[in-house]
Amino acid sequence: MFDAEKFIEKTILKLREEIKGKALIAFSGGVDSTVSAALVSKAIGDQLIAVHVDTGYMRKNEPESVKNLMKEMGLNFRFIDASKEFYDALKNVEDPEKKRKIIGGKFIYIFEKVAEKENIKYLVQGTIAPDWIESGDTLRDTIKSHHNVGGLPEIMKLKLIEPLRDLYKDEVRKVARVLGLKVSERQPFPGPGLAIRIIGEATPKRTEIVREACDIVEKEIELAVEMGKMERPWQYFAVLIPVKTVGVHGDQRAYGNTIAIRAVQSIDAMTCAYSDIPHDVLEKISTKITNTLGNKVNRIVYDVTNKPPSTVEWE
Amino acid sequence: MVQIYVIDNGGQWTHREWRTLRDLDVETKIVPNTTPFQDIKKDEIDGLVLSGGAPRVGMQSDLGKCAEYLEKAEVPILGICAGHQFMGRFFGGKVEPAKIPEFGKVELMLLKEGELLFNGVSKKSIVWESHNDEISILPGEFIHLAESDTCKIQAMKHKDKPFYGLQFHPEVEHTEYGEQIFQNFIKICKRDE
Repeated sequence: MFDAEKFIEKTILKLREEIKGKALIAFSGGVDSTVSAALVSKAIGDQLIAVHVDTGYMRKNEPESVKNLMKEMGLNFRFIDASKEFYDALKNVEDPEKKRKIIGGKFIYIFEKVAEKENIKYLVQGTIAPDWIESGDTLRDTIKSHHNVGGLPEIMKLKLIEPLRDLYKDEVRKVARVLGLKVSERQPFPGPGLAIRIIGEATPKRTEIVREACDIVEKEIELAVEMGKMERPWQYFAVLIPVKTVGVHGDQRAYGNTIAIRAVQSIDAMTCAYSDIPHDVLEKISTKITNTLGNKVNRIVYDVTNKPPSTVEWE
Repeated sequence: MVQIYVIDNGGQWTHREWRTLRDLDVETKIVPNTTPFQDIKKDEIDGLVLSGGAPRVGMQSDLGKCAEYLEKAEVPILGICAGHQFMGRFFGGKVEPAKIPEFGKVELMLLKEGELLFNGVSKKSIVWESHNDEISILPGEFIHLAESDTCKIQAMKHKDKPFYGLQFHPEVEHTEYGEQIFQNFIKICKRDE
């Protein structure tokens, strides 16, 4: 079986040998990048610079909590608000693969700028096994371009370091527990963020809608898990489908968007079964979303597809 | 320690096969399907897994050097999905587009009792699938071991050689007896030492 302590010991030694000089880590605050940051920081200390980019597609209150996490971990960090840049870059873009590639490219552009200014030679990423498997290669078909793999430009100035490349999520969580990181049980959140939870153009307005809906889904499901009503899903969120349907609000015709509730069970995301959310929980989520989002959303649907044939996220 | 290599035909779950074997304390490695058999043989392996592949390769392509492995290997071989289909084709069976492609959850029915590979597996169990093509005609030297409602040849084995083919994916978490099937295959590899 996988031995987290041994892995930590070996990886730190290897990183110390591999990295000669300053390194930059793309820090999202998720389990993978947090564990990577902890390992590299143990190996090279303050030579590691953690960079968090607020893309505008983060979840509710996420930028603040990521900043606090970097502080708590004692990382040497930079916080960059690039939301306007990302919104502009995704203007009129509807194709999911294009969205992922544009976001990946933007990330690298920002990291390269920081690297140039601070004379950094290495880029650390929290890539794990399913990321590079799904991104495809000469042998494998591309299921989706994970921003940390498929989005990378062909010629990159920075040397890539991926300490978790051969691990699956459950193994990364084990490492996180041994390292005492509080993010160890956090649900995965895709690199392109909320942009791929909006079908069609990811405008700032639509982002606000899905941000609010995701927050409601997360809170209600976490509450249900705490109360023992259901198993903790691998991942749980809302998707905005900009398809309008007719509703009735206080004797008046309403014409609003649709939100899908998605939650899946898995150990490594390579296969998933849709989560069995109790009906009273679904109803609570539905009522909360429609009441909070008023005339913007008037229909809620529940995604009951496994992987395969579908994937966890919609894009 | 048992040593079983995973031949990578480009499937989404190649890494999972490697991981399942590793978790069962097998010495294992992912090897590209372009590796000459000689290079694999000199590592004194006890068995091979032929992974699944990108869409349609089980039906059409050469699958690297898989033919050479099936021709020369004396150790047990487990073909999965495209690996299974290729094994069927290699021994003279036929692979065609499935009438009903299967994705996700399917019920598997075992046809024979006392089969080593399915030791400890219930007569009916849940397996996960992901295929567009299937073996439509079983090769002459093979025995039909399992089926589902929507796909006839879900499992087969060679009459004389320790070669097995599975259309479903024992390596994924949601296949009920997946780990058990791998354990059985490891036992078959050990027995053959």
